[in-house]
Amino acid sequence: MATVEVTGLQKRYQDFLALDGVSLKAKTGQLISLLGPSGCGKSTTLRCLAGFLEPNGGDILVDGESIVSTPANRRGFGVVFQDYALFPHMTVAENVGYGLRLKRLPKGEIATRVYDVMKLVRLDGLDRRLPKEISGGQQQRVALARALVLQPRLLLLDEPLANLDARLRDEVRWLIRDVQQQSGITAFYVTHDQSEAMAMSDMVAVMKAGRVAQFATPREIYQKPTERYVADFTGEANFLPVSQVTGTGEGSYRIVVAGTDLEVTGVPDIPIGWDAELLLRPESLSLVAPDAGTFRGRVTKSAFLGAALHCEITLDDGDVLRLAADPNEQVSAEGKVGVAIDRSHAWLMPKVAP
Amino acid sequence: MTSSATTFANQRSVSFGFALLIVVLYIFLLAPLVAIVGSSFTQSLLIEFPPKGLSLRWYVEFFSRHDLVSGLIMSLRIGMITAIVTTVIAVMAGLAGRTLRGRLSGWFQVGMALPLLVPELLTAVGLLFFLYEIDLGKTVVGLQMGHILMSFPYAYVSISAALRQVPSSLEEASASMGATGWQTFRLVILPLVMPGVAMGAIFAFINSFDLYTISLLLKPLGGNTLPLALFDFLTYEFKPTAAAAATISIVLSLIGVALVQKLVGLQRAF
Repeated sequence: MATVEVTGLQKRYQDFLALDGVSLKAKTGQLISLLGPSGCGKSTTLRCLAGFLEPNGGDILVDGESIVSTPANRRGFGVVFQDYALFPHMTVAENVGYGLRLKRLPKGEIATRVYDVMKLVRLDGLDRRLPKEISGGQQQRVALARALVLQPRLLLLDEPLANLDARLRDEVRWLIRDVQQQSGITAFYVTHDQSEAMAMSDMVAVMKAGRVAQFATPREIYQKPTERYVADFTGEANFLPVSQVTGTGEGSYRIVVAGTDLEVTGVPDIPIGWDAELLLRPESLSLVAPDAGTFRGRVTKSAFLGAALHCEITLDDGDVLRLAADPNEQVSAEGKVGVAIDRSHAWLMPKVAP
Repeated sequence: MTSSATTFANQRSVSFGFALLIVVLYIFLLAPLVAIVGSSFTQSLLIEFPPKGLSLRWYVEFFSRHDLVSGLIMSLRIGMITAIVTTVIAVMAGLAGRTLRGRLSGWFQVGMALPLLVPELLTAVGLLFFLYEIDLGKTVVGLQMGHILMSFPYAYVSISAALRQVPSSLEEASASMGATGWQTFRLVILPLVMPGVAMGAIFAFINSFDLYTISLLLKPLGGNTLPLALFDFLTYEFKPTAAAAATISIVLSLIGVALVQKLVGLQRAF
C-alpha cells in the first residue's frame, strides 16, 4: 500500500563503497526482487530501507516522503530475516503478538488479530509452542506472520528461504507470494537464487558491485539482458563472439557470428566498436540435419536427463554451444549436426555495459 | 588388524589416565572443603580432621563473638551492594562492548578486565592514595568502591558472554516492530541474558566476600570484613571457630548457586 522510490543510494564503509548509487522504483503492491551474488549490495540496500543502516547519500521516498531520517522503529515496515530472528523465550503466539503488545492494544484484539494472521499463514494450533519446538518452515511462517500482523506499509524479506530445504522452500515461497498479493503490500525481496526471483517478482533488480545492473520485469531480464553479467546470472546461456556489428535501426543489427551473416535484435545504442556478444539461451536452439540450420558443428558431449537431452556442440570455428535437445533424438558422438536458432530469441548485447 | 588393536588399547589407556587425572584433580579441589567442613563439627579444642566427636559448639562460639559476627555482616552487606552495582555496570558495559567491531572490541575487552591484570596490591595502594585525596580514606564507601572495582571483571566476563549469544537480528526485528531501545532491552535482551546476569552477580558477590588484600588496605576505622576478622582471630587462637566461619561462607555460596538454579537454571548460564 505504498510506492517506494530509491534514488542514488550510497553506503560507504571506510574505503569500500558498498552501495554506489542504487536507484529503484516500486509501485503499490509490487514485489521487487534484489538479485545478485553475495557482496553485491542487495542486503545493504534492504537494510537501508529497513532503517538498520544509514546511507551516506541518496534518498528513499515512501509515498513521496523521505524516510531516511526516520528511525527503524517508526518506519512501520515488516522485516523477515534469513535466520527468522524469532524471540526464543516467547511462544509462537507471543512472537506474533509482540508488535501489537508494544502498541498497547487490548488483549482481546491482540488475540483475534494473532489468530487471524496465524490462520492466514497456516500456523493454527501452534500458538503455545516455543520457536525451537517447531520446524524451520514453520519458524519462517511465524516470522512472516509477525511482520504481517502489524499491517506494514512495506514488507522487506532478506533471503527468507535460504535456510530451508528444497521442498519447504517451494511451499513457503508460494505462501509469501499469495499473502503478499492478497494483502496488496509492496515488498522487497533479497535473494541470490535467480529462479526464485523470476518466479515471484513483478520486477527484478540484478545488482553488481553496489550498482543496479538492470531493473526490469523477469521476462526482460531473462530475454533482453543489458550485459553478459545479467544474462549469466539469470540462467543457462551461450555467448558467441561477434564481429562486424552494423546498426540497421533502433535495437536491430546486422552481425557476423561463427562465419554466418545474421540480422538480430539487441540492446539499443551499442557504441560502434564496443565488445559485443550474441546471447543464445539453450531453449532457443535446436538440432537439425547437418546441411540445414544456421551453424554447423559436431556433438562433443551429451547427457540424457530424462526430460531433455543436454548436448554440447563444438562449432566448426571452435565455439561451443550448449542446448537441450528432444530426449528421443538420436545423437551420435562426433556426428555432424546443424544448429537452428530461433531468431526472435537471439539477443545482441555488450559484454560489459557501456 | 594388529595396528588398529594397538591404537584401541592406547586409546583406552589414554582415557583411563585422563579419568585418573580428573579424579585426582577433584580430590585436590574438594579435600580442603571436606576437611574444613568436617573439622568445624569437632568437639576438641583444635582444628583437626577427622573430627573428634560431633558438636555445634564452635558455631555457637562463632555467633557469640562480636568481632566475627560484625565482620560477617559487613562482608554480606558489602558483597550484596557490590553484586548489584557491578551487575548494573557490567550489563551497560556489555551492551556498549557489543556494538564495537574489530580491534576496538578487543581493546575494550582488555580494558574491562584490567582490574584482574594489575596486581591487587598495586590497585589497593593506588586506590588508598586516591581515596585519601577525595576524603574517603578509611571509610566504608571507599572500601565498597574497591570491592566493586575488583569484582567488576568477573561479572563482566559472564554477562558479556551471555550478551554475545544474542544475535543482533533479534534487536533489529524488535525495532522493526516498533520497539524503542529500552523496550527491546527489557522484553527481548534481558530475559535472554538473565542466567548470565545472575551468574555474574554471584561471581561478583563471592569475589567480594573473599577479597583480602584490598580490604586490609581500605578497611574503615574500627570495621573488619570477615576474612580480616578471621585472620586477626587466627593470629592468637587456633580454634575450630575459624572452621565454622569457613563452613558458613561455603553454605552461603551454595545458597547463592541454588537460588540461581531455582530462578533461571544454571545450565542456561553457560
